[in-house]
Parts: sequence; structure tokens; C-alpha cells
Amino acid sequence: MIRGLALIFALLAMPLPAAAHKVIFAIFKSGDVVEGELGFSNGDMSSGAVIEAFDSAGNKIGEAITDADGFFVYAPTQAITHIFKADMGAGHVAEAEMTADDIADILGVAAAEETVAKSTTPASPTATGGVTVASLSSEERLAIAEAVRDEMRPLRRELAAYREKNDLQTILGGLGYIFGLFGLYFYIAARRRMEG
Amino acid sequence: MHIVDGALSNPVVIAGTAMAIGGIAMGLKQLTLERIPATGILSASFFVAALIHVPIGPSSVHLVLNGLAGLILGWAAFPALFVGLLLQTVFFGFGGVTVIGVNLLNIAAPAVLAWLLFGRLVERGTPMSGAIWAGVGGAFSIAATTICVAFSLALTGDEFIPAAKLVLLAHIPVMVIEALLTGAAVYLVRQVRPDLFTAVKGVAP
Repeated sequence: MIRGLALIFALLAMPLPAAAHKVIFAIFKSGDVVEGELGFSNGDMSSGAVIEAFDSAGNKIGEAITDADGFFVYAPTQAITHIFKADMGAGHVAEAEMTADDIADILGVAAAEETVAKSTTPASPTATGGVTVASLSSEERLAIAEAVRDEMRPLRRELAAYREKNDLQTILGGLGYIFGLFGLYFYIAARRRMEG
Repeated sequence: MHIVDGALSNPVVIAGTAMAIGGIAMGLKQLTLERIPATGILSASFFVAALIHVPIGPSSVHLVLNGLAGLILGWAAFPALFVGLLLQTVFFGFGGVTVIGVNLLNIAAPAVLAWLLFGRLVERGTPMSGAIWAGVGGAFSIAATTICVAFSLALTGDEFIPAAKLVLLAHIPVMVIEALLTGAAVYLVRQVRPDLFTAVKGVAP
């Protein structure tokens, strides 16, 4: 009997549960795309999860899939408000919104960058003014942006983790509220009894 | 354990909230003067228990202590757990504000059920047998809570069996720890303050 139960539990336990805890879902502008990350507050990142993008009316406009580190990239096509939703099952859902302004910014920057790149590359040999900024090709600029983004990533993650941290003061504050509330209720109940 | 905003459909949220309000009203009716201090203490322990994480495999789960609250408080577990849950939601962002009714129902209803099933057994007999029944009650309320959570999710469209399996399995270590904790707590109370159970039952106001 016990052995049978143990076997059943062992079999059930095969797909190890990744349940529990708050979902961390953050999106940010990243060059000409929207980049985001999805994971749990204990540091587990969610890989292979489907992120769906909706417009403000609730119509689905696209989706993205997270990589092994819980990162995903989504290239917006319209300058409208995007709402990103993730559902990891077992009640772990998350939602994040990027406003139309930000999306337009992304699209605008991307469009501008392309035109600048086209016009400057043939122009730079003629312009011999020695302006160092012009010597940065669009590829270099992209590489720098990429490097900065990579440098920022751990910081952003640390920040997200820090925001999830519960410090002692919060806990003590909560306990204070509880004792205060029950003390108040005790007072009211005692008064009622004294009167009655 | 704590369901977040947006995971449940509106009818589920509304029905859950209505039932939770009923539970709180029932609990407040039974919350006599003698019971208020114990209720406050258990509310505080529930509030803190959720911060104690039990690492299992790649993930971790947290303690709930709803069984202990239920066994000692009976229906008064509803207001006690409501206060704890509300503060957890506000301070730590556990679960959503709109689904707090459903969360309360999922946590407090099993507590009351554990009390109805095992309450008498915990109070009677030797402290040791009381402690053992308390352990059973503690584990039972966790199991029932996970099933309730899975059921609330199933009402919204998740597959019930896989979801229930997932949450239930993740909480087996918690069930063991809670059983030991609840048992130890009741054993201590029975040894040190055997009148707690009788005092807590109290006389009607």
C-alpha cells in the first residue's frame, strides 16, 4: 500500500513543478524593438513562454516567445498602445503596457536611423571636416547600443529583484497594523460588553 | 497560493468575494472578547508565515499556517486570515486586490473545514493525540487549499487535473512542515495553556 502510494507520488512528481511566487514581467524600449523579460521573483526565468501582444481594444496583434533567459523581443509595426500578456499557467499571469508614445518613439527612432545611415555613409568621404561623431557608422552605433544594453541587463534584473524584496521594516509595519487592528477591535468589543 | 489580478473571470471573483464576506460575517459573530487576542496572534503568524520559504528543487513554496488558525479559531479564522491576507497584498504584493475574496475563501474555508473535521479530536484526549490530530488537520488544510486554488483556476478555464496536480505536488513539503508545526504548536498549547481551547470557545457575549 505504502509502496504503491510512493510509486504514484514518484510518477506524479516526474514533471517537476515550477509553481509558486510572484511573476516578474518587465518591458523596455530597446533600439527599434520592445524587449522584455519574464520570470519568477525567486530568480527563475521563464523560458519558452508565449508573450501575446494586444492593442488597447483587446485585439491580438502579435506574439513573442521567451528564450532560455526569459528574454523576448517584439518588433512593433503600428504606433499604438501595446499590452503584453504572459500566462504561465497555474494562475501565474502578468500584464505590462507600453504606451503609444513609446511605441512611436521606437518606430520613429528606427525609421530615422535608417535614413541617417543611408545619407551619411555616402556623404562622409566628401565631408572632411574631421567631425568625429560622423565617423561612427550605423553598425558601430548599433554595436555600442547592443553593448550598453548587455551591460544594463544585470542591473535591470537586480533592480527588479530588489523591488521584490521584503525588508524587515515592512514586516514589522504589517505586524503593527495587525496588533493595532485587533487591539481596536478588542477595545470596541470590551466597551460594548461594559455597556451591555 | 495567492492568485493574482486578472487570472480569474469576473463571475468567479464575484462569487468568491460574496462567499468570503459571508465567512467574515460568520467569523465576526463568533469572535467574542476572549478570542480576540488569540485571533490577532494567529493573524500575525499567518502574515509572517508566507515569508518563510521552503526551497524544493528549482523552486520554493511558502508556509501558510491556515490549519493552525482554523483549529484554534474555528469560524473566526475568516477575519483573522482576512486581515493577514489584506496586509500581505498591500505590503508584499502577494495576490491581487480584486481577487482577495477568492484568495481568502481558498485559504480560510479549508481552515474552517479542518476545524469542523478535526477540532474536537484536537481538544480531547491526551496532548499527544491532540497534537497528532492537529498535524493531520494542518496537512489537510494545505491540501484542501491547493485543491481550492486549482478549482478556482479551473472555473476560469485552466485544465483542473494538471493544475491541481502541479500545485498539490509543489506543496507536499509544505504539508509535511505544516503538519509538524501545527502539531508542535498544539502540543505546546495543550501542555502549557490547556485552557486556551476552552477559553477561546468562550461564552456568548
